[in-house]
Amino acid sequence: MSTIELLTQGFTTVFTFKSLAFIFLGVVIGQIIGALPGIGPSAGMALLLPLTFGLDPATAIMMLAGIMYGGQYGGTLTSVLINVPGEASGVMTAVDGHQMAKAGRAGAALSIAAIGSFLAGVGAVAAVAFITPALSAFALRFNAPEYFLLAVLGITAAASLGGSPVRALMAATLGLMIALVGADPVTGAPRLTFDQPALFEGIDFIPVAIGVFGLAEVLSSLERAHDMKPIRTRLKDMWLTAAEWAESRIAILRGGLIGLIVGIMPGAGASVASMLAYVTERRFSRRPERFGKGAIDGVAAAEAANNASAHGATIPMLALGIPGSASTAVLLAALVLHGVRPGPMLMQQEAVLVWGLIASMFVGNVVLLVINLPLAPLCASLLRVPYVFLAPGILVLSLVGAYAATLDMGTVWMCLVFGVLGWLMIKFDIPRPPLVLALVLAQLLETSIRQSLLLSFGSLSIFVERPIAAFLLVLVAGSILLPVIGALRRRFGGI
Amino acid sequence: MRLVEAVPAFLLIVLSALVLFGTADLVYWAGITPGPRFFPIWIAGVGIALSAALLVQLRRGTDSGTTDLPERGAFARVALTTAGMAAFVLAMPLIGVVPAVLVFMMFILLVVLGQRAMPSAAASAIVAGAIEIVFVRSLKIALPPIPFL
Repeated sequence: MSTIELLTQGFTTVFTFKSLAFIFLGVVIGQIIGALPGIGPSAGMALLLPLTFGLDPATAIMMLAGIMYGGQYGGTLTSVLINVPGEASGVMTAVDGHQMAKAGRAGAALSIAAIGSFLAGVGAVAAVAFITPALSAFALRFNAPEYFLLAVLGITAAASLGGSPVRALMAATLGLMIALVGADPVTGAPRLTFDQPALFEGIDFIPVAIGVFGLAEVLSSLERAHDMKPIRTRLKDMWLTAAEWAESRIAILRGGLIGLIVGIMPGAGASVASMLAYVTERRFSRRPERFGKGAIDGVAAAEAANNASAHGATIPMLALGIPGSASTAVLLAALVLHGVRPGPMLMQQEAVLVWGLIASMFVGNVVLLVINLPLAPLCASLLRVPYVFLAPGILVLSLVGAYAATLDMGTVWMCLVFGVLGWLMIKFDIPRPPLVLALVLAQLLETSIRQSLLLSFGSLSIFVERPIAAFLLVLVAGSILLPVIGALRRRFGGI
Repeated sequence: MRLVEAVPAFLLIVLSALVLFGTADLVYWAGITPGPRFFPIWIAGVGIALSAALLVQLRRGTDSGTTDLPERGAFARVALTTAGMAAFVLAMPLIGVVPAVLVFMMFILLVVLGQRAMPSAAASAIVAGAIEIVFVRSLKIALPPIPFL
């Protein structure tokens, strides 16, 4: 069947009352979560993951994906109106968006962000529809060595793009250590269980994700006062002038393309995409001096990039079973928890789910455009609810949600422990996404390296003899060496 | 280098040692295939190597990370909130989820965050009601009930 026919089938999955209702619910929750400072889409998805257990896998994944990209739209509100990005990818939007708001053009900033996000989002979903099947078909040539190196690349690439690669790799190592607890995936021998029956099945993904992302964020946000005074905006301010549109349209195209490419790369996320798009736009601009002072094309590029990146990150997740970002790691974990096996066979074995998800992203983007254009002033009014009243509610929802997932108080205690761990990670500047990425990839990493060494009778040459594996090995080496070379160049003054 | 900045490195060394000792009774290699201890040994080795790298970076002043420990007031809020959550988890099976939610919300809003009584009570009631409606009535999840009801 052609891509168009499969996509049409996807739309038939989506156009039922139940699917549409949960897509709507997902994007609205994503919009709200994105607007809450400190609670990003990954945290929101982790918090709501247990609530999806009563749903069929396709509906659950469509809803969770809605939170993922809805969060990108929602983050714009806080970035523009109060200069506090809802999540890291909104930082570049805040730079010019808030300057526009202070100059009385908050409506225009929100409009171009919504339009840019929508156009780039729809373009990226179209790319997902065409690239994912091709990549998935190519990945059928992969065997254990390639999977091992892909999983390693997912972790090292994430580490190389952060602030400190050593700290990021430490987080990933911690994630792998957490995954070691429980039965050995090959022989079933108990490992690091210390004779505790509760640990025989290992440490669940849900308490780790809820704790490390959700509870930790709220604990961290309670340290400081949240005195947010949003700039007001009205519906009539939302219209763009012809000059503003002319300035923004190419920025949306460039930002969308950059976002898509960055999103497909393992480890790079929406933050990297928006920053790269903003810097590129400033370089191409005929008046770069406006950037930082309220340049609408800066807002357009950053928003187009972060939304395209969120969608693009689903390509390696769907085609290879390798998450490209923290959000897609949660989405992948959701697939596994719903009994769906990710990997290159997913497109064939779960065609209804995959094409339903892709079609749902088209529909979700339309819903988000409506929410963010005519309803933007209404959404902005949500920011007037004091955060101090929301924070304890989020904690309660997290703990009750963790209990609801397993009906076991042990999960709730685990959640609390990982919440404190996540807070300590924030304090010590240890990035949390690599921990979750590593936790999701741990089983694939271990089983694939053991299978590889079994195939080669213990010889490491299997990783260089196979052409695709050798290519991936070069990428892994590059992702480790690039930050080292960068640090050396900085240290020795550009040698 | 302040000693507190090295805490993550020391912690990872301890965890690596725990992995090494905790898997001591497993085999590293079984016949022609890696055994259950193969992966843990390498992970622990990587953990120790990364910790050493961080310690070297901290000593040389080349680490780009920043340790941001909270001030006393902020730390007290976090500690009280964590203690409140632990008490909430303990109370859930004893007094039921909805009463535990109400008590926890009031504690956080009044004691930890110093909010006014009426808005705090309203927010607590809304959250407790939402938990009851979403989890118990809609999703039919068997949360610990209120005793004697």
